[in-house]
Amino acid sequence: MASIHTRGLVKKYGSLTVLHGLDLEIPDHELVVLVGPSGCGKSTLLRVLAGLEAIDEGDLFIGEDRVNDIPAAKRDIAMVFQDYALYPHMTVRQNMAFALEMRGMARGEIKERVEKAAALLAIEPYLDRRPKALSGGQRQRVAMGRAIVRNPRVFLFDEPLSNLDARLRTQVRAEIKTLSQQLRTTMVFVTHDQVEAMTMADRIVVMKSGVIQQVGSPEDVYETPANLFVAGFIGSPSMNFFPASVENDGLKLADGRTVAVGDRVQAAATAHRGKPLILGVRPEHFRVAPDAAGALSVEITLVEPLGSDTLIHFKVGDAEAIARVEPDLRPKVGDVIALAPSPEKAHLFEEKSGALIC
Amino acid sequence: MSSQQSPKTQLAALSAPAVIFTVAMIAFPFCYSIWLSFQAFSSVGTTSFNGADNYVRMVSDGEFWNGLAVTFYLYILSLALQLFFGTILALVMFRSKKLPGIVRSLFISPFMMPPVVAGMMWLVILDPSLGAANYILTSFGLPPSEWLASPGFVVPTLAFIDTWQWSPYVALIVLGGLQALPPSVYEAAEIDGASPVKVLFRITLPLLLPTLVAAMILRSVDLLRFFDLIYITTQGGPANASNTLNIYGFRVGFEFFQLGYASALMVTLSVIVLGAVLVLNRLRDAVAW
Repeated sequence: MASIHTRGLVKKYGSLTVLHGLDLEIPDHELVVLVGPSGCGKSTLLRVLAGLEAIDEGDLFIGEDRVNDIPAAKRDIAMVFQDYALYPHMTVRQNMAFALEMRGMARGEIKERVEKAAALLAIEPYLDRRPKALSGGQRQRVAMGRAIVRNPRVFLFDEPLSNLDARLRTQVRAEIKTLSQQLRTTMVFVTHDQVEAMTMADRIVVMKSGVIQQVGSPEDVYETPANLFVAGFIGSPSMNFFPASVENDGLKLADGRTVAVGDRVQAAATAHRGKPLILGVRPEHFRVAPDAAGALSVEITLVEPLGSDTLIHFKVGDAEAIARVEPDLRPKVGDVIALAPSPEKAHLFEEKSGALIC
Repeated sequence: MSSQQSPKTQLAALSAPAVIFTVAMIAFPFCYSIWLSFQAFSSVGTTSFNGADNYVRMVSDGEFWNGLAVTFYLYILSLALQLFFGTILALVMFRSKKLPGIVRSLFISPFMMPPVVAGMMWLVILDPSLGAANYILTSFGLPPSEWLASPGFVVPTLAFIDTWQWSPYVALIVLGGLQALPPSVYEAAEIDGASPVKVLFRITLPLLLPTLVAAMILRSVDLLRFFDLIYITTQGGPANASNTLNIYGFRVGFEFFQLGYASALMVTLSVIVLGAVLVLNRLRDAVAW
């Protein structure tokens, strides 16, 4: 068990800098998810933590130890790879025992540890099979078992669910979270899927272009996104963004209409009068309000019934937007509907910097 | 082709050239050899069926057993050497990614050389009195060797020449296998704390087994039918020490014109080659991962 912290961490490939001086604290026992779009540097950061990539500048500490120059084998970390990286010529048992054999552990203890981990992951029936005789979900469990037997200070997961089908992914996601609670070991999990990040993480690290955008609990990054990027990346469907300017009784949108946003947002907007602003409203933070003053009257362009609720698409000026409404409403394409943003949940951003105003 | 024709007719028409070629170039000569192996040839060139006489003669023919022993000795020695050096060469080429292209080309150049040219070149190098090999030995104070002229040395020398020529071919096959191995497995091994030696023996070589067996199959077919290099250098000598089954069959057929018996020898050799391929194919299935 150990905390991780990085100070001014820089990683370059030739002249290309992929991690720009990262400062990150990962406390002991936490499950931290690194999330961001492809190419944001999350997997590179994980590989740097693992010792599979050298650090160009800055410091990396695992526990109290500065591990910049410590090879992967001596960092006492375990990693679960995207493609599982099981040794295909070995049985499950041999796969799980390999790292322990390399450490020169006694046979009896290896057997005990392998069987304990296999019981924890319910893979005992497969111990004498080779990886090719296992399903994707079983391989995924073996990969976790191989990590668990080592009893490492830190677990690293590199998009381990991306090769699983949607149903299995949900199941394994829950299993990893349960495992994290049982083992109480620091875990760093990389994903590009914000749903995985939200459901699993104690804390989320949102990255873009090698820079950390925000670190916080899932609730924090959802409810108080630091900037337009985080607001747009976290949440599905994404937050709707409407260019806006300040009016006395609300915000004037790009199509010239004014929308009421409540006292909190209005006050913040007034303080930024004259600057181009962006109004951010999540699809679930619209309410159908036919009688509300300052509601937006919109024509529905597409309806997506999800069962539990229904997504309706509409346009405000050139901006495409989505609202999540009750399924009982049974909206139809071409219907005109009045939508009002929830005054407590709407956000305001500076258009130029993308920073959150409120 | 007319659209009126049925798919079956079209299929037959399109595959006819390949079928005709296969029958003319492979099936007919092979079946003809089998037929010949049951024939006796008279001095005037007529043939008569003589049952299994040729095969019965083979069992009691000391030359046949000698040929079989030489064939297997040369086969096993050459195959072992070629797999060993081919794998080492492949590992060197795989690890030395910055090796200049010209060096890589030099590494693999021997197998591009016609065997006749290679044979002539080594005949000169290994000439007991004028060759460079003995010059080098004697300049180090070592006794000269008779190489291809010594019954004890001739098979190892032929195996050495064939290894020099064909190890690069094995290396190319192994290199392909190495390049196809999943890189994440090596990263997992690195994190698991495996030393480079452990990685080689516990990961790389076991993962390469299917590739190595494929290389064994390809080389086995050639080595069991070893001919051109021996024909150029020793013609089966000295004292039949390099008289492989293939060379023996050739001499029986084209020096003594006993085509029936020669065919029986070649059919037997073909069965041996086929058997080796089948056994190695089974082995390849067993080591597949």
